[in-house]
Amino acid sequence: MAEKTNKKENKKNNKRKSGNIIAIISCLLAAVLLSMIAIFGIYAKNGNRMVNQLKEISYGMDIKGARTVVLTPSTETNTIVKDAEGNEVEDGSSLTDDEITQNGYTKEEIPVNSSDVLNKENYIKSKEIIQARFKDLGIENYNISVNEENGEITLEIPEDDKTDNLVSNLVTKGKFQIIDSETEEVLMDNNDIKDVQLIDESSYGSGVYLNIKFNKEGTTKFENITSTYTNSTNSTNTADTNTTNTTDTNATENTTNTADTNSTDSSTTEDTSSEDTSKTVTMKIDDDEIMTTDFDEVIKNGEMSLSVGSSTTDKDELATYVENAKNIEATLDNEEMPIKYEGTKNEYILSDIAREQLNYVKIGIIIVIAIALLVLIIRYKLYGFLASIAYVAFAAIYTILLRYANVTISLEGIFGIAIVFILNYIFVNKLLHRIREEKEEYNLSKITKETYKEYFIKIIPLCIMAITFCFIKWTPISSFGMVMFWGILLIAIYNVLVTVNMMKLKAEKRRDSNEEKNK
Amino acid sequence: MKKKTNKILILLMILIIIAGILMIIFKGFNFDLKYQDTKQIEFGLDKQFSISDIKAITDEVLNNEPVLIRKVEVYEDAVNITAREITDEQKANIITKVNEKYGTDLNADEIEIATVAHTKGRDIIIPYVVPFIIATIIILIYMMIKYYKLNSGKVLLKTIGIIILTQVLLFSIMAITRIPIGRLTIPLVLTVYMLTLVWYTTKLENQLKTKKQEN
Repeated sequence: MAEKTNKKENKKNNKRKSGNIIAIISCLLAAVLLSMIAIFGIYAKNGNRMVNQLKEISYGMDIKGARTVVLTPSTETNTIVKDAEGNEVEDGSSLTDDEITQNGYTKEEIPVNSSDVLNKENYIKSKEIIQARFKDLGIENYNISVNEENGEITLEIPEDDKTDNLVSNLVTKGKFQIIDSETEEVLMDNNDIKDVQLIDESSYGSGVYLNIKFNKEGTTKFENITSTYTNSTNSTNTADTNTTNTTDTNATENTTNTADTNSTDSSTTEDTSSEDTSKTVTMKIDDDEIMTTDFDEVIKNGEMSLSVGSSTTDKDELATYVENAKNIEATLDNEEMPIKYEGTKNEYILSDIAREQLNYVKIGIIIVIAIALLVLIIRYKLYGFLASIAYVAFAAIYTILLRYANVTISLEGIFGIAIVFILNYIFVNKLLHRIREEKEEYNLSKITKETYKEYFIKIIPLCIMAITFCFIKWTPISSFGMVMFWGILLIAIYNVLVTVNMMKLKAEKRRDSNEEKNK
Repeated sequence: MKKKTNKILILLMILIIIAGILMIIFKGFNFDLKYQDTKQIEFGLDKQFSISDIKAITDEVLNNEPVLIRKVEVYEDAVNITAREITDEQKANIITKVNEKYGTDLNADEIEIATVAHTKGRDIIIPYVVPFIIATIIILIYMMIKYYKLNSGKVLLKTIGIIILTQVLLFSIMAITRIPIGRLTIPLVLTVYMLTLVWYTTKLENQLKTKKQEN
C-alpha cells in the first residue's frame, strides 16, 4: 500500500517537475518572442510592402528634427504718391509713372520698418511678443533665438499638422484697427483692447466665437461706434439680425489669408448692401480687411463677438477656422510687434542625432543589461536565470507599452528609460537577495510584500517627481515624467504577476529537495 | 574607518567644487554649438548622402572644430552645416570637396554663410525651472511628514542642501572636464537629482529604522 502511495507521489512529483520545466521553457520562449517583437516589430503585408504593425515610437524635436523658421525684419517699402503740396494722393499706388509725372505728383518709397524701429530693444521685444503669443496658444516646445545685431529671429517648432498654420501667422504684426469704411478714420486700435478670448461652444450647437473685450476707454469708443454706425435698414446681415453682440459671420475666415496672401476681400461687404443708407466700419488686422459691418443696436458692455466659420458645415474646414481664430486671439491678446517681419527660411531640418546613433544607444543598453543579467545568474543561479528571463520580458513589454501610451521620447526620455531599467534591476536584485537570505523554509509572498514595501518607500520621491512631470507641457520634461511613470507602474504590476510567479517555480523545486532531505 | 572615508570624500568634493568654480570664473562653461553664436551654410545635393562623409570633409576643412551636420527636408538630400566659424575660404573648400565626393556642381558663391544667434541660457532653463520647483516642493513636504521623527526642519534643510550640493558638484565636474553644456546637461541633471533623492531616502529610512530599534 505504502509502495503504491510512494509511486503515486513520485509520479505526481515527476509530473510537477516536467510541468515546471515546460513552464520555464515557455517563459523563456515568451521572453525571446516579446524581445524580438519589441526590437524588430511585427511585419505584415500591406499592398506590395511589409509594414510594421507595431505603433511607431513618437520622438521629440531633439531626436526627430524641427521646422526651422527664420524671420527677418522686412525690407519692403510702401509706395506713397504725393501731390505738389505734399499731400498724399488717394489710390496713388494705382497710378502709372506717366500719370504721376503728368499730374505733377511725386512718388516716395517708405520702408515698412523705419530706421528708428530697427534697434536691439525692438528686436528683443519682438522675440518676447512671439513667446507671449506661443504661450497663449499653449505652445511650449520650441526654441527661439534673436540676433541682436540684425533682428533675425530663428525658431525651431515641432513638425505637426498645425505647424503650417502657425508659421503663416508668425509674421502677423498684430496691428488692430477699426476704421470708418468711408473716411478711413481710425476709430479704435490695439490700445483699446483689454483681452481676446476664443469661445468654442460648437459641441453645444452654439458655434465658435472670437470675443474681443475692450478696456474702459475702448468700451466708451465702441459704444459710440455702435450708436453711430447703426443700420438704418433691416438688411439680411448676420450681425444685424443677431440679437446678441455677435457681428459678422465670416470674420475670421478671411484671416486665413492675412499672413499669406494679403487678401483684402471682405466677405460681409456684400451682406450689408441691401440699401446704401448705413455707415459701416471696417476691422483690419495688419492693414488687411477682416470684415466690414454696421450695428443693429448700441453695445454698452464693451464686447464684440465675431462668429467663426459659421458659413461652413465641414468639420475640417471649421477646425482650420478655429485654428486661425486662435492665432488671432493670441496675436491681439498681446502687444503689436514693433517691427514688421518676413519669413526668409521655412524648412524641416532633421536632428543631428541620426537613427544609427539611436541604434548604438539601443545596442549599448542591451549590452549593459546582458552583463547585468549575467551577474544576476552567477550570483543567484536558477533564481537569477528565472529573474533574468522575467527581466528581458519586462524590458520588451515596457518598450511596447511606451509606444501605445503615446509617450513622446526625447533625450530626457531615453535617460528615463535607462533609469527604469536600473530601478527594475535593483528591485529584482533586492527580491533575489531576500530569498537567498532565507536559508530553509521561506514564505515567498511575505518576502515579496516586504521587498515591495521597502523598495517603494525609497522611490516615493521619484514617483512624486514622475507624476508632477507628467502634467508639464514642456516635452523633454513630460517625456521623462511619462517614461518614469509607466516604468514604475510596470515595475509594481509586472513583478508581482510575473517575476514572483517565476520565483515560485524554483521555490517549489527547493521545497521538494527539502522534503526529500527530511525523508 | 568609515569616518575617515567620509572625510576624504568631503575633502574631494570641496576640491572639485573649488576647482569647478575657478574654471567657471576663468574659462567659463564649454557650451554646445547649439548654445553659441554660429555660422551656418546649407546646400542641396539632390542625392542621398552620408553624414559621416560630410563630417570627414568638415573635419578636414575646419580643423576638427566641433560641427553640427543635419539633413534638411523630407527627402534628406540637402545638408545644413553649423560651426562656430566658417570663413568664405572654408566654405569654398567644403563645396569643392563635396563636389569631388558627390560629383555635384555646386557653386560656392551661390551659398550664403548665415549667422545664427545663440539661444539664451534663460530661454533654455526657464521651461525646466517651474517643474523642478513644483516637484521639489512636493517631495520636501513628503520628506518632512514621513521623517518627522528625525526632525522635520533638519530633514528639510539637509535635503535641500544635498540636492544643491550634488548639482553644484555635477556642474563643477562639467566645468573641469569641459563636457559641453548642451542637450545632455538636463538629462544628467535629472539623473543626478533622482539618484540623490533615492540615496538620501535610503539613508533616512536606515536612520528611522535605527531610531525605532533604539526606542
